[in-house]
Order: sequence, then C-alpha cells, then structure tokens
Amino acid sequence: MGASSPRLLSGLRVLDISNAMGAFCGKLLCDLGMDVTKVEPPSGDPLRREPPFASGHAHREGSLRFAYLNAGKRGITLDLTRPAGQELFLNLVERSDVVLESLEPGYLDKVNLGYDVLAKRQPKIVLASLTGFGQSGPYRDFLAPDIVTTAMGGLLYISGDPSFPPCMPPETQSYYYASIYTAYGVMLALWQRESKGIGVHIDASVQASIALHEHIAFTYSLEGRIMRRAGSQHQHVAPANLFPCEDGTISIFVSEPHWSSFLEVWKEHPPELEDPRWTSNAERRAHADWLNPLVASFTSSFAKEELSLLLQEHGIPGLPVNRPDEFMRDPHIQDRGFFGPVTHPALGSYQQAGVPFTVNGDRPEPLPAPTLGQHNSEVYGSELGLNEQDIQVLAAEGVI
Amino acid sequence: MLSTNRILEGVRIISFTTGYAGPFAGRLLAQFGADVIKVESLHGGLDSFRHFAKGKDVDAAPRFIECNLGVRSLTVNLKTPVGVQLIKELAARSDAVLENFRPRVLERLGLGEKELREANPGIIILKMPGMGEKGPKSKYGTWGFNLNSFCGMTYLWNHPGQSRPVGSQGVYPDHVGFIMAPTLMVAALLRRRLTGEGVSIDMAQVEAAAYMLGVSYLEAAVNQSGPEPAGNLDPTASPHGCYPCEGKDRWCVLSVRTDEEWRSFCLVMGRGDLADAPRFRSRQARCQNREEIDKIAAEWTRSRTAGEVMKKLQEARVAAGVVQNGNDLINDPQLRHRNYFARFASSPVGSFELPRGALRFNGMADEPLSLPARLGANTDEILRDILGYDEDTIAKWHEEGILS
Repeated sequence: MGASSPRLLSGLRVLDISNAMGAFCGKLLCDLGMDVTKVEPPSGDPLRREPPFASGHAHREGSLRFAYLNAGKRGITLDLTRPAGQELFLNLVERSDVVLESLEPGYLDKVNLGYDVLAKRQPKIVLASLTGFGQSGPYRDFLAPDIVTTAMGGLLYISGDPSFPPCMPPETQSYYYASIYTAYGVMLALWQRESKGIGVHIDASVQASIALHEHIAFTYSLEGRIMRRAGSQHQHVAPANLFPCEDGTISIFVSEPHWSSFLEVWKEHPPELEDPRWTSNAERRAHADWLNPLVASFTSSFAKEELSLLLQEHGIPGLPVNRPDEFMRDPHIQDRGFFGPVTHPALGSYQQAGVPFTVNGDRPEPLPAPTLGQHNSEVYGSELGLNEQDIQVLAAEGVI
Repeated sequence: MLSTNRILEGVRIISFTTGYAGPFAGRLLAQFGADVIKVESLHGGLDSFRHFAKGKDVDAAPRFIECNLGVRSLTVNLKTPVGVQLIKELAARSDAVLENFRPRVLERLGLGEKELREANPGIIILKMPGMGEKGPKSKYGTWGFNLNSFCGMTYLWNHPGQSRPVGSQGVYPDHVGFIMAPTLMVAALLRRRLTGEGVSIDMAQVEAAAYMLGVSYLEAAVNQSGPEPAGNLDPTASPHGCYPCEGKDRWCVLSVRTDEEWRSFCLVMGRGDLADAPRFRSRQARCQNREEIDKIAAEWTRSRTAGEVMKKLQEARVAAGVVQNGNDLINDPQLRHRNYFARFASSPVGSFELPRGALRFNGMADEPLSLPARLGANTDEILRDILGYDEDTIAKWHEEGILS
C-alpha cells in the first residue's frame, strides 16, 4: 500500500454474496479500498435483470442498477446450492476477511454456510448479514422490498405532499442507507478483530436503519406527537421550503442567525417583519402559511442560480433544485471532479458518480462493474490454484 | 460477555461539530466506545442545536441530546492563545479530529491541518463540510434540506407528472453524512493500525448525498435523458405502492411481482377468480393493467387496518407493510425484539426512548447508553487527567475566562 494511496483499506478481502439489498454495502467497501469479489449464481445476479437499462433494453450486461451498485468489484460465478460450490466457497472464505450477505434469514444455514461453518474454516471471519428486519424476531421472515422497509421504518409516513398518498424517495434508498450502516458494522468488527483477534456475525436490519431518521420515534416518545406529511415545509423553521423562480425552483432555509440578512436581501419585505418577534424560528414557523407566499413573490423574479448566489453572498443557505443532469454539470461539482470517466465492455464510456471523499486530497477513481464471470480464471486459477481443466469441468457441471 | 459499547475503547476523538450530521457522527462513535470530546465555547462557539432548548438551560434541547449521547464536553475559548494551545496538547494525545464547521474556520483559529499535524503527525482528520473543502461553492452555507435540492434528490422524490417539485420536509443528506463519517473514521483508524499512516479525509456532505443517486446519474449519462420522478411506481411490480386503510391517514404498502405472489394475493383477498384472468396472468399484463389492479387492491385494503393487511399477506408470502408513524415505531414488536430503544428515565428534558441503530453483533451485549455530558462538565478532568495540569492552573484559567 503506497503512502499516498487513497484506497484506505487495500489488502483486505471481501466476498460479496449479497443481492439488491446489500449490493451498495459491497460497493462502499470497494470504495474504501477493499478487494471485493462479487459472487453470482451461474445464471447471474437477479439485479442484472432490474431496470433501468442502457437504451431501455433489457440485457444481461445492460442494467444500470447493477452497473452502479457493483462498480469496482471483481465478479465470479458460483452455485452455492451445490456441495462442490460450497466447498469452493469455503476455500475462498479461508482467504477472506469479510463475507457480506443479504439473503433471507436462515438461508446460509440451510446451505451449510452459516456463521459457525465459516468460522470453523476461518476463525476470524466477519460475517455481515443485512436483512429487512433482522436475523430473529416476529417479522424476521417478512418479505422486505424497499417500499416495505421504508414504510416500516417510518420515513414513508412523513414523506410527500399531504394531499397525496405518502411518496417514496428515488431508487432504493432504504437499502442504500442500511448498506452504509452495515459497512460501519464491518469497520467496527474489523477494529475488534485487530484488537481482540476474533470475528463476529453482524445482524443489520434495514427497518432499524430507517427508524432513526428525522426524529420520528424520538418525537413521539418525548412529546407524544405524531409527525405527518408536510410537503417540503420544514418542521421547525420558516421560510425553510421550496420557492418558485423564473426558471425553476430554489430551496431556502432561513433560521435565526440568517433572518436579518434575509430581510436585507428581500428589499421589498413587508415592514412589519422587522419587528423583533419575527426573529424566532417558532414565530416564523407558526405563520409559515402567511409568510411562504410573500417569499414566493420575491423569489419568482429571479433565476434560481442567480438567487442562490445572491443569498449565499449574504451567508443565507439557498441552493437551486436541480435535475440529476443539472447537478452533473454544476461548475462546483465539475471542479471537484466528483464524476469520472468509466469504460465498460458492454455499456461503453460514460461519466459515473465517484467516491464521496478524498484521502489526503486524492479521490479513488471510479471503476466499472464486472461482466458475468469476468474474474473466474483469475480467482479460481491464479488464486485458488485450480488448473484450466478443473475450471472447465466446474463450468461444464454448472458449478461456476 | 463482550459488549458493543466498548469496541472502540481507547480511541480518543476531538469533535468540533454543530447541528445534526457532525454531532450524530460523534455520537455513533461514542456509542461504540470511543472517547469523543466535544469542544464548545460560551464565547460564540455553542452547538447550534442547543438553540432548540426551551428556557435558559442549554443542555435542555431534545435535538442536542439525541445527537450527542455519550459525548464528553470540554469548554475552551479558542479565541485565546492558551485555549488554542490546550487543543494542540489534546490533539497530541488523541487519535482523530472530527469536524463539520464551514471550511477554514479552524484554520483561522490556528487549528488547521498544519498545526494539528505538527502537534500529532499521526492524527486522523475527518472534515465533513456541506460543499467540500475546495471548489467555487465551497464557502456556501448549506443545510441537509438544501443539499437534497442541489443533488437532484428533491427533484426525483415526487409522484410522477406533478407540476412542481416536493422532495422531503426532512434532511436526508444529514442522515447519510452521519453514518458515512463514522464509517470513514474507523476505516482511517484501521488504516493507521495497518500502515502507521494517519490520513486527512474531506467528505463533502453534498457528495455523500449524491453517492445515493448514482443509478440516476448513470441513467442521465448513458441514456442522455431522464430520469423522472417515479413516486411509488415500480415498473416491475403491480400492485405496488401505498394503499388506503381503515383510519385517518392510515396506509399500507403492497408489492406483488411474481405470478405466485399474485395468486396468493388474490386468494387472501378472496378473489380467486382474478388469479387466472388473462389480463392479470403475467407480470407484464399486470403492469399494463396497473390502474385496474390498484383499484381492486384499494377496495380491499380500505376496510381493513394496515396491520391486518400486513399480517394476512406476509403469512401468505406476499410483500406488504404498515406505513408506520411515530407511535407505531415506538410500539413495533420487531424493533422491541432487537432491544432497539434506549430508555432514559430522566434527563434535562424529561424521560424518553430513542433508537440505538441498525446494528446488532451476535453474542455481544448492548449496554445502556448515556446522556451527553452537561456543557463543560468534563473540562477539569480532561485538563487534569489527559493534559496533566494541576488544580491551581485550572482554577486560574477559569478565572481568566479561558475555560468557558
């Protein structure tokens, strides 16, 4: 490991047998510099069949969801349901630090690959299990697509315009969020392994990762108050909302320290707002329904970038509402080099979101996802020492 | 029995944090045993969440308590040379610095990376500014609410075909930042343990938020169009979404993908007649006839509680859930089973419970969590036990206003 390498944990090895739920965790471990090998069934990870697709056509190498969530991993195929596949897997476990999985609770035990079996072969193994609700408990076996975990975690109830049904966030946020949490668990487990010389089985729950959001449970416990949908209006502060501009929308968040500056920028504000009572967040929030339309009449004569700059010059948090492509083109984001070029054998060359941190000023470069079985000969041949013929037999038997 | 609360025992982190994301990141490190020392000052350096306090007690702010559990409190006036020197001495005896101020605030106080590294060459420095340390908009002031808008999350978080964006009342990027930061912190600690090198990490919260939309950017980049808000739609499932249930503003969610799930769903509804109807027989057909299916599903859910819908369907292996509110969460038997809530019988704001988090480590105990220390409560012991000053010196600095 070079002293200046931005790959924090290069040299540590992960076997990733997760599905859509945990794939993002494997990606993050990869972005932390670990060597992550994605293990797919010979028919391919089901995620490869999930939209969106490049050019809109379903194709084994064309799922953009698979492409992002597996970016940077190595890819091998292996049938974990067959004894020969299980033995190969255990050989790989011996050479690994972490196994990441998000299969249904109890599945690994059923195929004789539970924590105890893994730990017998590699006593210091860290097994990270991410499931919808956890490894035990009354909801353990519940099916847990993203919409169910987001609902059961409480985030969905407070999301969206109150005149519509609750509204899901884009992509599969609850899976992603729980995946970062699981990565934190892996870091803690590796730290414990370094200090105490032991592995551990991590039991992470998607529901539990979402249920700490936005003070929803805490607010009910402390105040007996149920938080409800409020569109884009912040709970405690106003103006803290979205406002119309000539060419789109801006988000403005004016809390106590910024109120007097905001009145300076908003030259034609009603004079009564200069009364000191309006400095209080609570006072402004209580009259948000009156205040918001007045602010909207001020904002609507500006372009969103122009108003954002004006507000920021006065220290006031205001940023435009961007479409994804507008964000990608933003000069600040371009200057920071967050997006980087990637070349993929089937998808071609494109800009991909990078790693959201720099190490000593350097950012690890974004990498493409593996094609199906791309690293079979590297892993089974060079690393496990199987010869060409063994590999051909395993492939012919459908084990790999 | 091993305890999760002591995994990071022996790790000391200086925390210059305010608001939601930075302090909560510190709390998540303290929860697992790190000694997190939060530095504040009555001379213009209090955590902004203390302003949510009712009355004059700056420790009586619920938001502050939630975000700073288990954290020790040191008050030092950083506008004095002695104050700055004390932090350098503390840095020499610490493993890491966690910081979420605007860029260059610490530099201006004489506690930039250069000075901290002089004090301790191996120290880890993790900064988590809103827009990052560098770039034309790095000085912008941002809350999580604004970052949601900037990165595209607000635009995409909407029902399809709406005339204006809605997004969320909340601050999702803060949540992303406060779990990403401790992950990076322990990764950096591990790296130092394995290689001896202490690194500086700049984690822009805007990029952490954008990291959660990578598929959407890929869609924009590869397909040169879209994406557009999808709301509760999933192009591969029908029914899929929120459906009204008995009670005011009560909802369940349903997600039916396979033919087998559809058959079970029909049987649970008592509508076996629909299971083999040609217009619903394949997934593709069900997605094409989404509106009719939504109507049928809503008719059935409307007269039932969300809890009943979930129970009946999950028993039949169909994905369904309650759109839970705060009351439901606090009483959720699954979360209770996980010992999810930490209970505080008394605090400056009264008694309450709050979530511990998503992780359990099999075979390890979760001990009770502790409240944040009161403002300045650990100042004397830190100066005495870590920095080695005697009582007289400490008393003198108190008189001079250096330790407040």
